[in-house]
Amino acid sequence: MLIEIRNLKLNLGTHAVLRDVNLTLQKGQIYGLLGPNGAGKSTTISVITGLRAPTAGSVRVLDLDPVADSLHLHSRIGVLAEQAGFYDWMSAGDYLMWFASLYQKNLDKTETAHLLSRVGLAGQSPAPIATYSRGMRQRLGLARALINQPELLILDEPTNGLDPRGRREIHDVLLDLSVNHGVGILLCTHLLDDVDRLCTRIGIIAQGRTLLEGSIADLLSAQRAAVRYRLRVDSTDETLRIPDDITLLARAGDWWHVEIASHIKPAGAWRKLLDAGIRIDEIHREGGGLEELYMSVTEAKEAA
Amino acid sequence: MNPITLIARKEGGELLMSGRGLAWLLALSIIMSVLSLLLVSNTELSLLDNAQVVYMVMGTVTTLGALLAVVLGSDAVAGERERGSLMPLLLAPVTPSQIVFGKMGGQIAGWVVMYLLSLPYVWAVGSSGQNLTQAVTYLALFGTPVVLGFGFLGIALSARLRSVRSALLTSLITLMLLASPLLLGPSLRQSTIGQLFDAVNPFSAAVNTFDSVVIDSQPISMQLTRLSIALVWLVLTAVFAIRSMRKMEI
Repeated sequence: MLIEIRNLKLNLGTHAVLRDVNLTLQKGQIYGLLGPNGAGKSTTISVITGLRAPTAGSVRVLDLDPVADSLHLHSRIGVLAEQAGFYDWMSAGDYLMWFASLYQKNLDKTETAHLLSRVGLAGQSPAPIATYSRGMRQRLGLARALINQPELLILDEPTNGLDPRGRREIHDVLLDLSVNHGVGILLCTHLLDDVDRLCTRIGIIAQGRTLLEGSIADLLSAQRAAVRYRLRVDSTDETLRIPDDITLLARAGDWWHVEIASHIKPAGAWRKLLDAGIRIDEIHREGGGLEELYMSVTEAKEAA
Repeated sequence: MNPITLIARKEGGELLMSGRGLAWLLALSIIMSVLSLLLVSNTELSLLDNAQVVYMVMGTVTTLGALLAVVLGSDAVAGERERGSLMPLLLAPVTPSQIVFGKMGGQIAGWVVMYLLSLPYVWAVGSSGQNLTQAVTYLALFGTPVVLGFGFLGIALSARLRSVRSALLTSLITLMLLASPLLLGPSLRQSTIGQLFDAVNPFSAAVNTFDSVVIDSQPISMQLTRLSIALVWLVLTAVFAIRSMRKMEI
């Protein structure tokens, strides 16, 4: 287990910032930590990294106590904080070489160039960081987090300020780290699209409390009401019998708007359609999914 | 390489290669040039003797050094926090005390450059010669712990207070309070409060030593209590800075 948090509580003065946070992250997993502004996501990260000591509860990161073993822990994790600051007068290459030496690593020019190219900053090495755009700074922050080949990567809003291509490139880097190198990634973000694309497991926290935690597939199937899809089918035969679990809401030429009952998985529904002689050319989800889950959980908390 | 050395090299480079560092050195040169010119004129007119002039230059260099130290110290932690570059440092495998001593490395570089820059002025105003060796030696011996103590104080306040402005303001007020004996008249300095203040004040310890060795030609054996005060100040402020860094709110 890379991160194991049980019943974490944190008081700052008399104010309870974290009331009951639970989180487990295993090797090779990408975990999305979601929640509204001020929910306690960044504070949870500061506890995980040993910058704050918990008031109660248990926190183990890489099987270490983050506060007592902070030096050892810091040498094994990579963190991209929400506010990614640098020494602007340095060039990216010089900065990475300097930062690597804090980890007792001698990064030569080839390794530095490789690291920069990995995050999409190839050829930018000589320019001072002061000239970088926000997106470039995010990329450099990710390069800095990767400098020690971490076992655990903690990223707070990593795709902030990136254009769509940049986001896709960063997604690819993170998927490669997770799938091919077994790096566990804790992703703290507001962008549900990032979570949908990258994460296998999520935790939703609000007002310092974990409201929901588990694998996305399980949570969606447990929470979901009927989900709507738009299908392009290769059939205009109106006499075809549509399976009972699928409701045809509307049809416009080749396009069908359907609703799938909550007790069956989408793959099962598509198979039933194929068995009924309906060939599917395209599928688009129209509702349901992570966004609806997030909204329903956080709205219920706010209402309470 | 040790993290202290790495951070110190970065800090020193940032100070001495940046426009801010060069502007500071230019300002120092202008102040020292004007002051030296005035003092040499006074010597020529026999309004001040050579030893008094050397003493005044030493006091001025120490004050300017302390001023530079509080400015740099106040920016050391709070400034990095405001610019977002502190968090990566705290999340690297570096202890809070290594960060403090690394940051001090930059200040030591600044003080060394300032000290070297002041030597021609000390030589110019003290050219008749007999006080020159004492001036150079005692400026290093007493000026260094006082100046670096102010640097540690600036770092400590910078870690405890959330903004550079608050840290700088508090450090400057402390510097003004401790340097106030320079502004007090002889009668106030000889009152009970003045004497008590002088007895524990590191700034007074340095300035009174300059007075004793340069003007009154006393030996170093008579300055050991004052040297202890300056060294205790340095140790206490260092401990304060390390504790503040450890307890810092993120």
